[in-house]
Amino acid sequence: MVQIVISSSGAGRLAQWVLLELQGEVEPRQSGGLAGSVLGDLHYTHQGIPVLIVGHHILYGKVVQLEKPFAVLVKQGAGESQPAGPHARYTVTALIKTKLLFKTRPKPIITNVPKKV
Amino acid sequence: MTITLPLVHHCPHALVSRSLVIRGEKDEQAVLCSKDKTYDMKIADTSNMLLFIPGCKTPEQLNDNQASCNIIHSQIAGFSNNYWELRRCRPKLKKLRKLLMEDPYEGPDSQKDQTSTFLKYTTEDLLSLIQASEEEILHQLQVIDACEIEGYWRILEFDYEMKLLNHVTQLIESESWPLSKVPLRTCLEELGSLEPTDMIEHILLSYGRKYVDDAGEVYFEMHEDKICRSTAQMLLQNAVKFNLSEFQEVWQQSVPEGMTVRLDQLKGLALVDKSSRPETIFLLKVEDLPEDNQDRFNSLFSIREKWTEEDITPYIQDLCAEKQTVGALLTKYARSSMQNGVRVYNSRRPIS
Repeated sequence: MVQIVISSSGAGRLAQWVLLELQGEVEPRQSGGLAGSVLGDLHYTHQGIPVLIVGHHILYGKVVQLEKPFAVLVKQGAGESQPAGPHARYTVTALIKTKLLFKTRPKPIITNVPKKV
Repeated sequence: MTITLPLVHHCPHALVSRSLVIRGEKDEQAVLCSKDKTYDMKIADTSNMLLFIPGCKTPEQLNDNQASCNIIHSQIAGFSNNYWELRRCRPKLKKLRKLLMEDPYEGPDSQKDQTSTFLKYTTEDLLSLIQASEEEILHQLQVIDACEIEGYWRILEFDYEMKLLNHVTQLIESESWPLSKVPLRTCLEELGSLEPTDMIEHILLSYGRKYVDDAGEVYFEMHEDKICRSTAQMLLQNAVKFNLSEFQEVWQQSVPEGMTVRLDQLKGLALVDKSSRPETIFLLKVEDLPEDNQDRFNSLFSIREKWTEEDITPYIQDLCAEKQTVGALLTKYARSSMQNGVRVYNSRRPIS
């Protein structure tokens, strides 16, 4: 039988990460992968509403406390091409208890509105 | 190098501080086991994109009165649109009994053990074969009265088990001990020449509750119901079915003096057919039935078309998930109707 062990990484408290949930897909502006590119800017209003600016779009979201948290697992192993042996391992790297949910339609930001003459 | 970061959802926080193991054969659905619980694992898809950001701050964590604008650079560690979802499930323990029944222990006199080519299983072996947590496995071993012999978990062959039990009950009768106060020491002394002492102690543990009195002596309070039940099994296993009233008479005569037999002692072991004339009784052991819910109901409905709730409950009780009732199971897997003023349940679909 396959047995994959999942253990806690390190003795200290687990890192707390945040989930960003977007409706739809994120595409790179130029061809090539997403890795290394800047997604955008995240702001919070004084009321604590998260605001995301991606490219020339602006999205309003909300902070959601997750009823059931996520655990983030990292597979242990030399390279991604290594097949999972009978005792592959994962470590719990972080917990996610909060998500920033963006499900409203992105609004284009128009910076230059021509004035009516 | 890309790091794949599977998310595990529905993760009770207590889980992550202990060791977890995902277990399964290639042809089984994977389960995740903590020290004492088992969870089904399913992949959940979402059309949304999930990005995970280490150290990203939430509004509460940010100081409201920042004098100057700070830009915090945060890296997105990865993204996904699926995650593993955990749901607590019943541990898959039927295989445990099946493995141990491959080679039941027939006693020290049996030649079988020396020549046996069957595999024997240690606790570690079982952990690598059974889709359940360690504690659930150990608990089930106790429930099925398994014992460790030379480091291997064994189930006693039924005839040998009854032989051991008979030694004890005969001794109880000849010594006129009350059923609630059977002394371990005397049992070992009197029976030690007939059977290994750890087998005598094992049978006492299987059929009694161990306690220590104020003087430090070990006694057993014998389980009358369990003794009657095993006696019934011994009688019933020799025929397809029995005339009920004849059976009840023989059964009462076969149990130790002072014990009273009752049909409710046989729940999950035998079934009475009230529709036959005369009424009959036959062996039907719940542990011989399929483990999967739908398969179990199919099997029960092929044995009998219509069941009362009272009759079927002992045969489906073990299917109940946490906080699930027998009633809920019946609603899901059966159809009910009235027959002669009594509610009965039958299959939702035709049984071939």
